[in-house]
Amino acid sequence: MPASLVVEARGVSRVFPMSAGPVTALRDVTLHVAAGEYVAIAGPSGCGKSTLLHLVGCVDTPSSGSILFEHRDVAALSEAARSRIRLTRIGFVFQRFFLLPMLTAAENIELPQAEAGVAPAARRARTRALLEYVELVDRADHLPSQLSGGEMQRIAIARALANNPVLLVADEPTGELDETTGEHIADLFDRVHADGTAILVVTHNPTLAIRASRRLAMKSGSLVA
Amino acid sequence: MTSLGLAWRTARRYRARTLLAVAGVAIIGALLFDMLLLSRGLLASFADLLDSEGFDVRVIASEGLPAMRVPIPGSADLADRIRGMPSVRDVALIRMERARVRRGADRPRVVTLVGRTQSGVGPWTVVRGASLSYGPVGSARASGERDSASLPSERGDCPVVIGRNLATAFALEPGSSLDVTATPAGIASALPSVACRVVGLVDFGFAGVDEYAVATTMDAFEAIVAEPSHGEADLILVASRAESGGGAAAARAIAGLRPDLRVYSNEDVVAQFNRNGFAYFRQISFVLSSLTMSFAFLLVATLLTVSINQRLGEIAALRALGIGRRRIAAMLLWESALLVGAGALLALPLGGVLALLLDHILRQMPGLPERLHFFVFEPRALVIHVVLFVITAAAAAAYPVWLTSRLPIAATLRREVVG
Repeated sequence: MPASLVVEARGVSRVFPMSAGPVTALRDVTLHVAAGEYVAIAGPSGCGKSTLLHLVGCVDTPSSGSILFEHRDVAALSEAARSRIRLTRIGFVFQRFFLLPMLTAAENIELPQAEAGVAPAARRARTRALLEYVELVDRADHLPSQLSGGEMQRIAIARALANNPVLLVADEPTGELDETTGEHIADLFDRVHADGTAILVVTHNPTLAIRASRRLAMKSGSLVA
Repeated sequence: MTSLGLAWRTARRYRARTLLAVAGVAIIGALLFDMLLLSRGLLASFADLLDSEGFDVRVIASEGLPAMRVPIPGSADLADRIRGMPSVRDVALIRMERARVRRGADRPRVVTLVGRTQSGVGPWTVVRGASLSYGPVGSARASGERDSASLPSERGDCPVVIGRNLATAFALEPGSSLDVTATPAGIASALPSVACRVVGLVDFGFAGVDEYAVATTMDAFEAIVAEPSHGEADLILVASRAESGGGAAAARAIAGLRPDLRVYSNEDVVAQFNRNGFAYFRQISFVLSSLTMSFAFLLVATLLTVSINQRLGEIAALRALGIGRRRIAAMLLWESALLVGAGALLALPLGGVLALLLDHILRQMPGLPERLHFFVFEPRALVIHVVLFVITAAAAAAYPVWLTSRLPIAATLRREVVG
């Protein structure tokens, strides 16, 4: 595997045991994301995009095949080690933002840094820089309930970038937003990519997918393009 | 943001849940606190009453409680021997009889008449006026000796101390006079009244709220009952010296003098009552305390679990972001601690007020000593209260913690999006 690869999926399959019988969500998928690369995966609902994203993002392990994150087999790592990778090397952006409702925008951005052991002064400086990056300095002390959908997603992106990840994974980041706001988020992803962070985004939004340097399609649990 | 800070913010964010939990725990906690006060309250109050009498050893003639009185033969001699013991500070011989008191045209009242030899202490507490006087200070006499060469009736000397309720009933003050007539049980008698002078108003520790009592010197007592004691007493009260081992040591030494008698230290009496009468309170209290703790556990565990189930997506996202299980577990533990802690804290004043109310109701029962209480605060009750609620908080958080620690992150995120 070339040293510049951030994550590689080698022939991964994911089968979910169900009471009515096992469901295969992914079939023998092979994928790699290089450092600084911007990859978009499109496909119909239920085709396995999110499942692949979860495997690449180290929140799940494959039924077969392997996921190598920075040359380390994720399945061989303990949950604590995977958690550490997610905290420091990966940034997650969700369709529904999942900001903590009781924390302000700034505190949401600070939380992963605090978990990573960043000193308070450094945390505050980094949070301030990220708020400037997503152009929401004036919203620092607002609760998520006081933000619009687009603003919440920008805060969520700032939170994902809090610990300088090498890979940003985003699951339908514009799924809850209108077209114009989605464009702003897509612009923000372009900036993140331009700053050197690899991005793997799963989306239905062609406006967002078209920005990626590499576009893949999935169908029935397999990559088709 | 610490785990405690996150828990605090969560508690503030979900205010309705927080208020429900705190109010529920406060009410349950108040009941628990009262159960703890009740479990030993009567016993502690009883022990306090015994100690407040000033004597810590009781000598009686037969097996049983001090209330079952049978004259002690050779009481005066025994009292002298007890007084001579180095571990003893004071000795009093006690006789009791039923009597009737009258003042002017007022309706007579039935009283317990107590005769006591000279002693430096009670068994009563002077509220107003003086205690019984036995002549010049420092006139050391044997306890069994008469207080005077002449009978009180002859000298017109019958000092009495009376309970406050009798003073109220007859509007008596120190210096007032009243007539006392002995009415021995089971004997039809026509004993003459003896004119007595009130020297003090006192609290008789074991006299019931609705029970009248009058105490006088042994000489006056004999004059009233028209029967010399011949050195016999119903009860011998002994005050020990603390530096010589206290009541228990004195009781052992006295028991060695007269093996035919029963000698109880205050601790013995309390222990005997604890084994017999008060065990029921303890058992009832234990059962009710266990039930109340179960309710507190179920309430907080249910509210936390429901709350967690509503926030599963949020928690799964936190885990996906790399927030560790420990921090989430700590946050839930703190949440539980805040809810239970606030409720348990509120429970203390609430339980205190409730205890006062219940104590007032229970003390209306006839025949109970005025100073006997059912609910008595002891520091150990507070310690147990705190310990039980710490355990409850930890137990209530256990299931939600387990739930979140085993949360399948990917599946939960998928469900949240589909939902």
